[in-house]
Amino acid sequence: MNALGLLLPELILLVGALLVFLLDVAYDTDRESGASYGLVSGLFLVVAFLAAFFQMSLEPQQAFMMDIDAFAAFIKMTVFAGMALVALAGGRYMNRRTYNQGEFWTFFLIVSLAMSILAGANNLVLIYITIELLSITSYMLAAFFRDELRSAEAGMKYFLYGSVASAVMLYGLSFIYGAVGSLDLREVAGFFVQPDLTEELRVAMIPATLLALAGFAFKASLAPFYQWAPDTYEGSPTPVTTYLSTASKAAAFAVMARFFVVGLSALDVEWVPILAGLSILTMTMGNLAALRQNNVKRLLAYSSVAHAGYILMGLVAVAANAASGMDGLNGVLLYLFAYLFTNVGAFVSLMAVEETTGSVEMEAFQGLIHRAPWLAGMFTLFLLSLAGIPATGGFLGKFFVFGAAVQHQYYWLVAIALVNAGIAAFYYLRIIRTMYFGSQEDAGSRLELPLGMQATLLICTLATLWIGLYPPQVLDWVNTASQQILTAVLF
Amino acid sequence: MPTLPVPTFTQVVFVLIAAFTVISGLGVVVARNLFHSALLLAATFFGVAGLYVMLEAEFLAVTQILIYVGAVATLITFAIMLTRGAMHGETNPLNRQWGKAALFAFLFLVGLLGYLGGIPWPAPFQAIQADEGLIARLGEQLVTRYMVSLEVMGLLLMVALVGAILLARDDKP
Amino acid sequence: MAESYLPLLILIVLALGFGAVVLVLPALLGPREINKQKMQPYESGIIPFTSPRRRFPVKYYLVAMLFLVFDVEVIFLYPWAAVLRDMGVFALVAMAPFLLVLVLGFVYELKKGALHWR
Repeated sequence: MNALGLLLPELILLVGALLVFLLDVAYDTDRESGASYGLVSGLFLVVAFLAAFFQMSLEPQQAFMMDIDAFAAFIKMTVFAGMALVALAGGRYMNRRTYNQGEFWTFFLIVSLAMSILAGANNLVLIYITIELLSITSYMLAAFFRDELRSAEAGMKYFLYGSVASAVMLYGLSFIYGAVGSLDLREVAGFFVQPDLTEELRVAMIPATLLALAGFAFKASLAPFYQWAPDTYEGSPTPVTTYLSTASKAAAFAVMARFFVVGLSALDVEWVPILAGLSILTMTMGNLAALRQNNVKRLLAYSSVAHAGYILMGLVAVAANAASGMDGLNGVLLYLFAYLFTNVGAFVSLMAVEETTGSVEMEAFQGLIHRAPWLAGMFTLFLLSLAGIPATGGFLGKFFVFGAAVQHQYYWLVAIALVNAGIAAFYYLRIIRTMYFGSQEDAGSRLELPLGMQATLLICTLATLWIGLYPPQVLDWVNTASQQILTAVLF
Repeated sequence: MPTLPVPTFTQVVFVLIAAFTVISGLGVVVARNLFHSALLLAATFFGVAGLYVMLEAEFLAVTQILIYVGAVATLITFAIMLTRGAMHGETNPLNRQWGKAALFAFLFLVGLLGYLGGIPWPAPFQAIQADEGLIARLGEQLVTRYMVSLEVMGLLLMVALVGAILLARDDKP
Repeated sequence: MAESYLPLLILIVLALGFGAVVLVLPALLGPREINKQKMQPYESGIIPFTSPRRRFPVKYYLVAMLFLVFDVEVIFLYPWAAVLRDMGVFALVAMAPFLLVLVLGFVYELKKGALHWR
């Protein structure tokens, strides 16, 4: 069947997840089996990545309520790359800390599968069910160290916020279904471009959209639905935090992009101001809170909230035919791609310090340059990229997102974002200062990093520099991806 | 002299079911004992199932009985029994905020009535074709159009199953 | 057709009526005598030796949760069963992964001893 072939990445991950689960059921797990489960998971993720890469060059088409287009394929590549890197770097971390390795790796692949479906889903039912699959699996993973108070708290908070948010979202989606009579995003789009659409119905979609937005904003940790993020990010196992703040966010933005840009394209007058407000609120709240943190894990959590605000600017400034080639959507994709490698790198650096010193407080980073010069150097690069210093991937992402906003003449939005970027640079530089100029007395012994972490850090460093210094290939991908969405849209 | 309209039998039944649902729903929030709230919640679920029958959404009614009355109400009951002391005496901690809660609930009701009533929904009062094949058509859609959703649902249930065992098992391996 | 549910309505009314009669009649007709023995909780004739007001173990909750999962599964089987004869093999194949995944979950449940009462 040809249609099934289009679901190749998803099928690969499904087979992988069931294989690991079957092995776990069939054999009595001992402490050593985690490594092989991790290896199998990593292999399946790499194969799925290759399948997604292959999908980049396919003609846009649909199969089983999913769009198989370059946009979905690019998001899938981003997600799979992130998950594979997390597996590579964090596998040992997880395997050493839990007995339930089989369950962990099964969940890990199922989460990847859910994000992969979300990248292409174009039907409200499928979107809802898949968000639920992603969320419920993530609750389990956040609370995976159930005997640790912080981890249990992380899972609990995530679950309580998440279940309320998804219930509210479902309510909003039901209104949209009530108005349109269809769950298909294209039919929703077609309904709202009718010339005889009554004004009341247009206005009535604002509350519906707001309710639906609550669910999406929760997954992307946008203000005012971000309160779970710091506690969950801090308490979860660090590999889980890493994917929650990168891959999971990419999937959430993919859904939002498809929902707003494809489904509600005719109502952009209504939703653009809402998203612009959320964007400003998110970046400001995230940055102001991050300023006061002394725990680096928590600081990165708040910074991840702030970044969601910048990414949202791209959606606010989306435009079908942009003169400068900055159509907003490609900025979102580029930002997500660059942010993924940067933030995975940052969290893996954090994990490395946590593995050796057992702490993620600012003090643990004092004089890191003397203990692990390479680690400190790479962490510096990631922090500079997060701050958006030129020649890094983070800069290019910000450049495209801000550029799209300038082009739309949203100068106030750009001004606020620039002020925020300045504030952000301040706390990123604070970590760097601690690493380089901390006192040498408590520097302690040199850090020995496991091979997986070294490899991950190297890949993330190279990718961040590659996007920042030689971006033509990435730009080609994101432009194809955004154009395939935008040419189909009826702006 | 205007004559009072004589309600049809269906209308009488509807009013009875609706009143039952609303009264037991009100009971859920005003009951002093959390356990009584749970039992009243089961009654509310039952009333909602009756409303679904009146709306000719039979599959939904069956689902409501099987899942909400049968399983969710049981789960809630167990959750209360797990909590020390919650079964006895005045235990509903939320009752202390009933004033604010009532205000918000009222505002929500007014807002919702205004919202739902003020919109020209495209297909109001459209009779659905009630025939024997409704559930069969649902089944057909489930395995064709909504196939991926169905498999995702299966995975979701499996994850919930494994997660429940993982997190709630009371022994250490 | 909501009218076809009339027998169900009659059944509910009858059941409620029977319950009411059984409660009301003894209260009206029966003799009332209250003493200590009679007010004790009835434990199959055994004198209760612990307080009933204790926390229930979490395993009850676990069983209820596992029940919920399979309950939801069954709901999906109803509409599917209604078309199985007409659609034949295709419906069977389409449902297979769904069932397979849940059977795997069930095997896991057995293997981990979640149904083993300790």
